[in-house]
Amino acid sequence: MSRWSEALLCSALLGISLSVSAAEDFSAIGRAATPAEIKAWDIDVRPDFLGLPAGSSTVTQGKQVFIAKCAACHGEAGESNAMFTPLIGGTTPADVATGRVASLSAGPTRDRTVFMKLSTLSSLFDYIQRAMPWNEPKSLTADEVYGVMAYLLNQAQIVPADFTLSNDNMAQVQALLPNRNGMTTDHGLWAGAPASKGGMGNGGKPDVQAEACMKDCATEIKLGPPVPPPMLKAQGNPAEQNRSYGAIQGTPPGSN
Amino acid sequence: MSEAYSQPGRLRPAPENFLSDEQITEVKAGRRDFLRSSLLAATAAMLTPLAARAGSAEGDANILNLPEWSTTSGKPVADRPYGSPSKYESQVIRRELRGLSKLSGNSASFAPLQSLFGIITPSGLHYERHHQGWQDLDPARHRLMINASNPAFIKQAKVFSMDDLMRLPPVSRIHFLECGGNTGTEWGNPLVPTVQYTHGLLSCSEFTGVPLRLLLESCGVDFSKARYVLAEGADGASLTRTIPMELIESDEVLVAYGQNGEMLRPENGYPLRLIVPGVQGISWVKWLRRIEVGDKPYGTREETLAYVDLLPDGTHRQYTAINECKSVITSPSGGQSLLSKGFFNVTGLAWSGRGKIKQVDVSFDGGRNWKTARLDKLVLDKALTRFNIDWVWTGQPAILQSRAIDETGYVQPAYRQLREVRGSQSIYHNNAIQSWEVLPSGEVNNVQVV
Repeated sequence: MSRWSEALLCSALLGISLSVSAAEDFSAIGRAATPAEIKAWDIDVRPDFLGLPAGSSTVTQGKQVFIAKCAACHGEAGESNAMFTPLIGGTTPADVATGRVASLSAGPTRDRTVFMKLSTLSSLFDYIQRAMPWNEPKSLTADEVYGVMAYLLNQAQIVPADFTLSNDNMAQVQALLPNRNGMTTDHGLWAGAPASKGGMGNGGKPDVQAEACMKDCATEIKLGPPVPPPMLKAQGNPAEQNRSYGAIQGTPPGSN
Repeated sequence: MSEAYSQPGRLRPAPENFLSDEQITEVKAGRRDFLRSSLLAATAAMLTPLAARAGSAEGDANILNLPEWSTTSGKPVADRPYGSPSKYESQVIRRELRGLSKLSGNSASFAPLQSLFGIITPSGLHYERHHQGWQDLDPARHRLMINASNPAFIKQAKVFSMDDLMRLPPVSRIHFLECGGNTGTEWGNPLVPTVQYTHGLLSCSEFTGVPLRLLLESCGVDFSKARYVLAEGADGASLTRTIPMELIESDEVLVAYGQNGEMLRPENGYPLRLIVPGVQGISWVKWLRRIEVGDKPYGTREETLAYVDLLPDGTHRQYTAINECKSVITSPSGGQSLLSKGFFNVTGLAWSGRGKIKQVDVSFDGGRNWKTARLDKLVLDKALTRFNIDWVWTGQPAILQSRAIDETGYVQPAYRQLREVRGSQSIYHNNAIQSWEVLPSGEVNNVQVV
């Protein structure tokens, strides 16, 4: 027996653990965050508006900011799909009344715009503040964010042209969002505690129950439409996307 | 067998119009007998005498004339201090899907699954999805802040430098990472030709880092009240997602700096990213700068305007996170051609966000009959699993599929089953069985059995 194994045996007999225990105290590692540091980085806004900064702006003021800083990508009315999915469109005054966007259940449609999906107004404030404009993220003041949102809400026919949006009336406007009732968490894809235990979802229960049939599982094999020829062409030459040797190689163009 | 003489390294031209459209339809309907005579004719035409292809009656010029690498001195060590692949491997790269986005900084590049072996994705081929382009952060200036939505949930909000984080005891674990939008183009119809584009928002690496639980404990987080975590990036998008505290308590969630033995690549979040095994890539926040603990989910842009799954009734599923059990044959796959008849190794990948892969079955006839594939021995929790199965291709049309089963017993569904519940507009979480059609010419195409 080596001295090392003797030492191991000895510590085992004495009940000494050589491993790092889960209760190890790492409190000395890292340092306290200062209030100014937390203020600088803690910019998130929750659906209950926790974190929302004070401020206000009008549709008219917001339009000026939007034209100057946002319209190049989104179009002057937020309608453009030139760079991103359109912000505006696909919602109706009837949707504002019900809180459900009717066009979402109409089957395959054009782009799903931001206002067709937006269920929590906080998400829009939070995102514009942290990530917009594309070429200068985090450069807008809180008032500018309120203004841009007021303008977009007006373009989406949710608030009138003389509207002023502020931290005081965000909750009232939330109650007008066309898709405010359009989300569900009743599914099995949330990885935390289920709704029945204070979390979300059904606890991971899958929505599809397939079976592992092994033999004579189908009588007829029916194929859907093939990959559209323009899409085949758009993604380049498969012969150049595979090794040039081996028993299986990329198919050269024109073979199809 | 005369097929054994087929020369590797040369593409054999596919016989034109070997089957008419009408005949192909019959094959798909399961009627094959007519093929026998046409196949015999085509086979005869395809075979070329060996001597004609070898170029010389004496033998292979590559043997008879010594190549330059056998007759010259090689290059010195450390000639390339950070090695790179052979110049002959230039086809094996990640590729942006054309038409996906108008801004490359808001796009995705796909891993070349058709060319990869085993389960580990080389770091330089790991798929990319950026929401405001990628950045190369200075690790000396990078900080991780941990705070709370309510001061009562934490004893001390803290700041960690990379120095601090790398002092803590690390763990290394192999996990897959799949974008929630992987295979998203295929919900309605097959739309892209190759496995790189259908399934390439998928990678698997060994990640090294510190369990987030240790950091939260060191801040004195009240786990009884704070049941959600917000993870936030330091890039322009400062992307945010809500993570359930249960995953952190299980010690699965890591604050990672290592990937495949080295530091993370900038495109993958250098110097710090979150590892959330089994959960879609959007939650694995890159360039991680802040963790906030709270008592409610955060409804971020990536949980409201994107990464929400549309159902036929017009509702969107919100906070979808788990990648359900899925598999794909990576070779032969769309855009490839079998160069001869005879033996082929059919290979692919299987994975599940709910645990280990238990079994993978492969069908060569569009799902009528299935055979169980061999799993490589490295079957890990929430990691890619490599499967292989022998196949002798007789030259007849075939439709190849794989179907994975995970340790919970969940069976990967067919398109029909998935669409019955979710329709075809969900974009995210498409884990349906993939079909590759092999034509008598040897060409492999992306198709869907509906």
